[in-house]
This record gives sequence, structure tokens and C-alpha cells, in this order.
Amino acid sequence: MNPLKRTKRLIHSLVFLVAMPAVLSVTQHEYYVSVTTVEFAKEHEAVQIISQIFIDDFEKLIRKRFDSEIVLAVENESEKVSDYMNRYLQTKLLFEINGQKQDFIFLGKRYDEDIVYCYLEIENIKEVKSMNITNNILYDLYEEQENIVRTKINSKNKSFILTQARNKAVLNFN
Amino acid sequence: MKIIKYFLAVLLVGSVSVHAQEQEQKERQQGHTNNNKFKQLYDEFATPNMFRTGSGAPGPAYYQQQADYKMDIEIDDENARLYGSEVITYTNNSPDELKYLWVQLDQNMRARDSKTPLINSSGIGPATTPSRAAKSYLSKGFDGGFHIEHVKDTKGNDLPHMINRTMMRVELPNALKTGDKFSFAIKWWYNINDHVKDGGRSGYEYFPENDNRIYVMAQFYPRMAVYNDVEGWQNSQFWGRDEFALPFGNFDVSITVPADHILDGTGYLTNREEVFTKEMMKRYNKAKKTYDRPVEIVTQAEAELIEKSKSKKKKTWKLSAQMVRDFGFATSRKFIWDMMAVKIGEKDVMAVSLYSKEGNPLWGEWSTRTVAATLKSYSRMTFDYPYHKAISVHAPMGMEYPMICYNFGRPDENGNYTDRVKFGMISVIIHEVGHNWFPMIVNSDERQWTWMDEGLNTFVQYVAEQDFAEWNPSALSEGMTKYPSRRGPAANIVRYMGGDQDYIAPIMTKGLNTYQFGNNAYGKPGTALNILRETVMGRELFDYAFSEYANRWKFKHPTPEDFFRTMEDASAMDLDWFWRGWFYTTDYTDIGIKEVKKYAVTTNPTEEGKQLAERYNIDPQELVYFVEEGQEGFEEAMANEGNMADLPTVKEFVMDNFSPEEQQELNTPKYFYQITYEKPGGLVMPIIVEYTYADGTKKRETFPAQIWRLNDKEARRAVASEKEIVSIQVDPDLETADVDTSNNSWPREVTENEFEKFKSQLKN
Repeated sequence: MNPLKRTKRLIHSLVFLVAMPAVLSVTQHEYYVSVTTVEFAKEHEAVQIISQIFIDDFEKLIRKRFDSEIVLAVENESEKVSDYMNRYLQTKLLFEINGQKQDFIFLGKRYDEDIVYCYLEIENIKEVKSMNITNNILYDLYEEQENIVRTKINSKNKSFILTQARNKAVLNFN
Repeated sequence: MKIIKYFLAVLLVGSVSVHAQEQEQKERQQGHTNNNKFKQLYDEFATPNMFRTGSGAPGPAYYQQQADYKMDIEIDDENARLYGSEVITYTNNSPDELKYLWVQLDQNMRARDSKTPLINSSGIGPATTPSRAAKSYLSKGFDGGFHIEHVKDTKGNDLPHMINRTMMRVELPNALKTGDKFSFAIKWWYNINDHVKDGGRSGYEYFPENDNRIYVMAQFYPRMAVYNDVEGWQNSQFWGRDEFALPFGNFDVSITVPADHILDGTGYLTNREEVFTKEMMKRYNKAKKTYDRPVEIVTQAEAELIEKSKSKKKKTWKLSAQMVRDFGFATSRKFIWDMMAVKIGEKDVMAVSLYSKEGNPLWGEWSTRTVAATLKSYSRMTFDYPYHKAISVHAPMGMEYPMICYNFGRPDENGNYTDRVKFGMISVIIHEVGHNWFPMIVNSDERQWTWMDEGLNTFVQYVAEQDFAEWNPSALSEGMTKYPSRRGPAANIVRYMGGDQDYIAPIMTKGLNTYQFGNNAYGKPGTALNILRETVMGRELFDYAFSEYANRWKFKHPTPEDFFRTMEDASAMDLDWFWRGWFYTTDYTDIGIKEVKKYAVTTNPTEEGKQLAERYNIDPQELVYFVEEGQEGFEEAMANEGNMADLPTVKEFVMDNFSPEEQQELNTPKYFYQITYEKPGGLVMPIIVEYTYADGTKKRETFPAQIWRLNDKEARRAVASEKEIVSIQVDPDLETADVDTSNNSWPREVTENEFEKFKSQLKN
């Protein structure tokens, strides 16, 4: 059997047993998962975010939402792709730090095998007492999408599996 | 003090353990059992016996059962239903008397009373979508599962039987003794699942255009379970994930489908003249002699025409297969069909593809060529492909059966495809065709050990992918120098092995109970074998032993120990430490450099050296001394003394004790280093070190894994060098799957995290 083309690698270190439907199928499009890591880099006074999304999924989304001609991860990729990704993530990924809504900067993206890595940064954060992360990535494409959020803040690691019904990770460090 | 003592010992004795326990113990320690990482695996391994020997080979009393099938199958295309009847002839080659037989009813996993959905946790969130709610709480779901109409003996008498979910126990009129055969008949039907919608390892894909289906069939018949010396009857149910354990046998299968279908499956097509047109026969005969490109038996134009209408007539295809463990077939009126011949040893094998227009142009270009290349690579690594054909069928899944497999990879509506789609398809075809070796022929128990076929197959897949690109350079895109293999290279498994230990299971875990199935049963064992081949054993030793395993166990049923033992038996390498670490634990590799101290050599006694000489009552003039960098006298010694061989005391010794020939070949080291390696990771692995000298040259040295045998945390090495070392790198080619490379270099490189690396790349 071919092991779930889609699941196998995204889920580097996270559960997805929980996310696994009853029948483990061999089809490619059984599971929809993204992984977002959020790290507070105190020495840079910044929150560093990397969102990993299947290229196939992001491509499908951009075609559906913005431009049906877009092809991702090709040599002559449209320059608009980064704008689309930024526009999309700005509306779907929301951060509230110490009770304040915080915007991020979309630094850029990188492709590796079938995953696109999006690099986002929130600047000027001196300390993190609390953080709420709302993740609505790809629910508009797949209702069964699951978004894994891994945080590394104040030397504490935490993991969340977010779904459409439960789309928020809440962290307190007091 | 410790250090001087160490060097004195190096001088006088030649080697030393770093185990010095100098601190006084305040409390008396407790004892312990043998927890050495190099302890032999006697506790974990089954005891060798007459069935399976300590060498890993089948023993003198090795046996296996046989199950032969005669089947009549019909597909009702309108209702997507399969009707079947079969006569199974079971031969008991075991020394045991069997009172009953167990038959596998895999389709029952899809029955409405299946327990498979019940073993997964579920919960309620604050809200859900209507479609999800309906699917979870309203719908009864697909009405699958076998409807067994009868189980009879050959005279037509009903046989008592009992169905326990996916297994059926058939009572025998008389106990089956060694060598006895028993024939019985089963009649059944079931609704075929839509594998795209409902998942599964067989089923149909529905195409609304022209209301057509592509059937890729398997587990469509009640199949004999395995009875053997290690499990008795296989009693692990089919929950859906862990695949299959099946005895070998011969199959004669007649399959009736609509007359306009094209069908192919496991075995020889015995009524080709009946089901082929004259034109198809002509093309087929041409394909048998064409070695350089696929020849179309049914063209795309023909297939597109056929799929537009539906024949009311039926046609029966007859297939006959010998020494196979299973049977699969694919049928549709949408099929394009091509094939080419491949020379394997002295024999011609047919590489075959079945696909619909949706797969083109990708499939016509690459499917059959990939099958052909795979047959060559795997034959080279194991044994010559023994069957007469290998078929790749276009279906959105990746699943293997003897001589036939179902593979994904589909261009978009306009026929365009990216490299991802192309290499995804080529990789899955290599993988699934490769399964012909593991587990179809080297017939391991997939129900118990997923890794035994998936891991070994993923390893050979990596080798075959690299071959494929070498043999088909035009398949690579611009800028690619080798095949983009996703699994195999050590670096690719680092994220998994360095991940959250709560969600990692040892490879030696039943597939159903593992987290991250793909990494656990495919990625990690495949990579482990690649590391074993490239880094631990070397290709020559590994390839011989691996091929020996395949040859010993072809058309037999091996266990994990048979594999582990054969690899050691055929290579004279005790690899218990490797199996223990990589297969029985979730330990990871993390080896680094803790400390490097630099010394100069001198005859000028250092303060500490003098004390030492006094303590042992040695004349200080008779010793040579090491001064550490930063200590008094270091610069002086570096500047004045030159290399060790020039020191008067050493010279004197050499002249008295070395022959003139030996004196000619003396090393002349001037720079001395003490390198302390640390091992925060649990795995023992070789230390691969690269020294870079002041003149820019480099030298590599490998310390076998056994360097960790007496101290699992630290290892220390003295290095005497003619040239100054400016930097040291551990695992320079990233071949050990080291999960943390921030400690791999001296001087310690400041490592940026992934985010900062990306950011600084942007700036450049």
C-alpha cells in the first residue's frame, strides 16, 4: 500500500491518530492537515510563525478564491502568488497577544517536496503573557480540514489540533 | 590531574577507558540487569527451532500450508455488485491436526455492523457542518460486507460455520491430518464500495461522464487465513489498516463482465483468443517483441469510443495463476491498454498498464516504462522476477496485489501536470510494483508487521528510483541531478525521529497501534536499511545479505527474526545493537562534540607532570609532557619543540626499539588534540568525523558504533596530527539521521533556527 500520501509527512511529530477516520484508506485526498509553528523569539522581540500547508491544497484554494490560472511551485510561478497567500493568511490566521490583536508580516514562502512553508513574523513583542491563536486555514476548501498548531513560548512547548468547530488555541503564562 | 593521568596512560599503555570513576560514592548504588546497548537480542527474539534456524534460514522442519482456488466471478455493473462462487482446496502440510479452518471475510470491515468505526475516539465540538452532521449522525452508511449464501462440502452438504466479524470458522467433518487435503465451496455476493468516496484498498471509481466505472478489485473472495508455526491460525482481525497474511496457492478464475470491458489481473490469460479481437492479437504479438517502448493494445481513440455506449452482452475472461498468495483484477470499458517486454535474466516479462483517458498524457508516457525499470532494479537487488507480467492500473490509490497494482497520479482536465504529480506517480508505481517482491513473494505477515513489507519495499524503492533516473535521464526536469526521492536519505527522517516522543512507536509495533503510520512503517525502516547499507555495513556486505534474505524466503513466510538473523549470518556483522536501537526503541541519533583541547608536546616538565613523575618515582627527564593550550609553556613548546619524533627522549627510545624500516615510516605529529564526543541521543551509531586542517585539506575518520559500548554518554579520542586542525565536523554528510546538528561542529557554529535561516536568505 502507499501510505497516505497526504498525511505522512506533514505530521512530523504530532498526533494525528485522533484525526484518523475509521478506515485508513490509501487514497490521496483523505486527510487535510496543516501545521503552524509559533515561536516567541525573545532575543529578537518577535513571534516567528511558520505555516506548512500542502501545495495541492493551497493551489486549489488560490484557484478557487483568487485566480483559476495559478499553478504553484513551478519555475514561472506568477508573482501574484505571494500576495494571494498573504491576503489569505491575514484573514484566516489571527493572533491576540497580551489581550491585543497583533498583525503579522508575510516574509515569504518556500517549497519543499509537496509542502509550502509560509514565514510570518509579528514584530515588537517584548514579552508574552498570553496568546490566543485563531486558525481558519482551508475550512473554506475542506470542512474536514484539521490545523495543528505547535507553540514554543517562554520555553514551553504545546500542541493543539484545531478544527472548524474548535478553531482557537488559548495560552496563558501567568 | 585526570588529564595528565590519561595522557600518561596513553603514552605507557596505548589506550584508556574514559570510565574513570574518581568521585567517591556517597550512597551505595543499586545493582541492575544488563542494559548495555550491545546486549544480544536473546530476550526479544524467538528461540530458534526446527522450523526457523538461528541463522535466519528456514529450518529442516519448515512447512507452509497451501490454498488453491477455483472461482467463478461476475460483476453486475449496473448495481456495482459482485457475485462469486469458489471451491477452495486446502492442504495441511503442518505436523498438526486441524479441527477447523479459518477463512478471511475482509469485506465485512465495511459491513454496517463492523466494529472498525467503534475503535476510534469521537467527540462533540460546539458546532459542525450539516454535511458532517448528516454523515456522522443520520446516515446508515454504505451497505458493505459479504453475504455468504452457503458453505458446502464437495458433495453439496452444508458445512457448519461461524462468522466472527472478518473471520469465518469452518468446521471440518474429520480432522485434517498432515498431508491431507480438504475441498469446500462458498457462494457469496457483496456491494462494491466506491473507493474514492468511502476509501478502501479495492472498489470502483465512478465517472459521471458516460456513467462509467473503473473497477480495481481485491479482497473480493473469502480467502484462507495463514496457519503457521509462529501464530497457529492468524487470529488478528482485519480492522482496515493492517494488511494481509495469506498462504500461497494456485488460482483458476473466470470473471464475467460486460462484453465491452477490458480486463486484466493476476495470472495467465488462458482464453486470450476468445476475448481479443484479431487486431488486438496482432498488437499483442508485437508488444511481446518490443523492448524499447510500450505498444498499445487498446488505443485512447478506441477507448474513448467504447466508453460512450454500453454493451448488454457479457464476456468471460479466464485467468490462471500459480504460486501466488492473492488475486486482483481491474475491469472497465474506459481502459487504454499498453505493454512492452522486459528482459529479466533469460526470460521475457511483460510490463503492462491499464488507464483511462483521464490519466493521459502522463500514463502513456511513463507508467509502463516505470514498471519495466522497477522489474530490473528489484531483480538486481533480490532475485529475478518470477512471474510473467506486472500491471500498473490507473486508480486514485496506491495498492498492490500479485502481478497487478493500482496507482495514483492524474493530470488536470487539460492534461497538464506538474513535477509533483509526475514523480508522485512514478514513485507510487515503483513502490507498488516493488511489492511483488515484498510481501507477494517474500511473503511476510503484514497483519502483524507492516514494516516487513513496507519498510523493506520503501528501501528498495529508493534504490529503484535512483536507477530509474539514471536509466531515463529525460524523465528529470531541468536542474535535477537525481531522482527526487522523498524517503531513503537519512536527513528526511530527522523530523519524525526528533519529534514528540508521545506520538512515536517503535518499528516493532503492530501497524494498527502505531502513530504516524507512514513514518513508522515505511519511512523509518526504509531509511534505517539505507543507513545500514551506506554507513554501517557498506554496499557489498549489505547487498549480499539482503539478497540472501530475499532468496531464502522467496515463496515462504519469514518473520522479523528471520530477516535480522540472515542479515547478520550472511555478513559476519553482529547487528543486534542496530536492530535493538532502530527497530525496538524510539531512540534517535544525536552525537556531538562536547569539548576539544589542544596540546603541544615538550620535554620540559610541566608542574603537573613533575608531580606525577614524583608520585610514580620516575625521573622527570625520562618523560614527555603535554601542555594544554592556554597553559604556561604551550606557546614555547609549539615554537621550539617541533614534532614528537624530534624530542630527544623519544628519539632515543625509537633508536633502541624500532627497526630501521620502522624508523623510516614514523609519523611526525606536532599538534595534539583531545576530543570529547557526547551522545545526548539514545541510539548508538558510528562517529563519523571530518577534520579540516589549516592548509584547507580534510581528512575523515569513522569510529564504529562499538566505541559507545562502555560509556553510552561520552567518548574521548586523542588525535596526533602533523597539521593543525582548524575545525571538526561530526556526520558531515548527514548520513546518520542526527536530530540535532547544532552540536556537530567545533568550533561550535552559531546555528540559526529555521525561521532565521529563511530570513537571512531573504536578505541575501
